[in-house]
Amino acid sequence: MASRPVTAARQGPEPPVEDDLATRFRDGDEAALREAYDRYGRAVLHLATTTLVNRSDAEDVTQATFVAAWLGRETFDPAKGSLIGWLLGIGRRKVVDRIRAAARETRVVETVKQLPEPVDTGPDPDTVVDRLVVADELARLPDEQRRMLELAFYDDLTHQQISAVTGVPLGTVKSHIRRGMQSLKRRWEVDGAAPGPRPAGLSGAR
Amino acid sequence: MQHLDHDRLVFLALGESEAADGESTHLVACGHCRGELETLRHIAGLGAGTQGLTELPDPPEHVWQGIVAEIQAAEELPTLNGRRPPRTGDPADVGDRSTTVVRPRRGRRWPRWASTAVTATAAAVIGVAGTVAVLGPGGDDPAPQPTVLASAPLAAFGATPKDASGDARVLGDNQLHLHVANLPSVPGYYEVWLIDPKTMEMFSVGTLSNGSGDALLPIPRNVDLSTFTVVDISAEQYDNNTRHSGDSLLRGTLTG
Repeated sequence: MASRPVTAARQGPEPPVEDDLATRFRDGDEAALREAYDRYGRAVLHLATTTLVNRSDAEDVTQATFVAAWLGRETFDPAKGSLIGWLLGIGRRKVVDRIRAAARETRVVETVKQLPEPVDTGPDPDTVVDRLVVADELARLPDEQRRMLELAFYDDLTHQQISAVTGVPLGTVKSHIRRGMQSLKRRWEVDGAAPGPRPAGLSGAR
Repeated sequence: MQHLDHDRLVFLALGESEAADGESTHLVACGHCRGELETLRHIAGLGAGTQGLTELPDPPEHVWQGIVAEIQAAEELPTLNGRRPPRTGDPADVGDRSTTVVRPRRGRRWPRWASTAVTATAAAVIGVAGTVAVLGPGGDDPAPQPTVLASAPLAAFGATPKDASGDARVLGDNQLHLHVANLPSVPGYYEVWLIDPKTMEMFSVGTLSNGSGDALLPIPRNVDLSTFTVVDISAEQYDNNTRHSGDSLLRGTLTG
C-alpha cells in the first residue's frame, strides 16, 4: 500500500519540521517559500485541478495562491493553524472566485443563448480541502496508527480483521484507531474548510 | 445523563458495530453524542477519500517560474505612478550588499534557486530556437538564427486577470521578441516598455495591437539592458500622451 505522505517525501520516523518552516515563511525567508512550494504545491494544485474544469485556470490559481501567501505572509499566524491549512484556505477562496466568475459568465451567455442550465461543476472545494488536511494529518501519525487507519478506511477491514492481518492484538488495534481518529478530528477542526458539526467550545480557527 | 463512551462512538462511526437499543435511544435524545458521532463519521468519510492523495503529481515548473516572476515584479516595483521612495544610504548599498543586515526591498538579489529556475527557462528557450532553426526553411536563407540573450516570463500585474501572461526574449540581433496571451481588451492599445527599476526611467519599445500573439520589436540602441531589466506592458489610450499611463498589465524581469 502506498503510504507516501501527501505533502512531503518524508521517510522514516523523522519528526515533521513544520513549525520551523511556518515561522521562516512568515518571517520572509525566501528559501522557505520554495520549501513550502515543494511540500504543499502538489496539494494546492490538486485542490485547483479537481474543482476547476480548465487545467490552465488550475495552474493559475496555484501560482496566485503562493504569490498571495508570500505577499500576505504577515497575516499568517502559525499559532492559529498549519501552513498547509492556511495555503489551502487561500487556494479555496481563489477557486471559489473562479467558479463564481465562470458561473456569472455562463449566466450571461445562457441569457443570450437561452440554453438549458449548465452541467454542475466538480467536487465541492471545501470537501477537497478537508480531504487534503486529513491526508496530511494521516501522513503525520505514528506509523502504526496510520497503518491501522488505512486498513480501516481503504480496505474497509473490521478491527478484528485488522488484528488478524497485522498480528497486532485487538485491544492495541482499537487503541491505535481511537487515537488516530482523535488526531484527525482535532486537525480537521483547526484546518478544515467545511462547516460541520463541531463540539461546543472549539472555535475551529481557520 | 450518562454519555456514550467515546470509544463506542468511534467504533459506531467506522461502522464497526451497530448501535445497541440503549445507545440508539441515547443518541436520539443527546445532541452532544449525536454531533460527535456525525463528526467522527464525517472524518471517517474524509479518511476514506484520502486514498489517491498519497501520490499527487508535482506542479509543472512554469508554475514556480510564474510565482517567482510575479513576486519579483510585485516586490521590486511599487507602482509606476508612485514616486520612488527615498532610500537611505543609496550610493553605499550598491557595492556592499552582503553585509547589509536589512535588505533593501528593491534591487535585491533573489537566492540562487530562484534564478536557477529562470536560467533553465532561458536554456529551454534556446533549445526551442535551435529546433526552429533546424525545422525552418533551410537553404535559401543562411542567416544564423538569433540567440536568446535574456528572457523574462511576464505575469499579470495588479488588477489584471491572472490568465494574462507572456514572455519576453532579448534576441542577439537586438530585437525584443514578445509573446502575450489573454491580455484584457482595452479601448486603446498596448505599449511595451523597458524600465530601470532603480530609477523608474523607461524606454518605450513599441506597441502591440492584439491581446494574444507575438511581436518582434527593435530595441533602442541606447538602452542598457543590464539596467533596464523590467519588461512592462501597459494599457494606453489614444490620448496624445506619450507617457506611460500607469496602468501596467504585465511585468517581468529579464535574466539570462
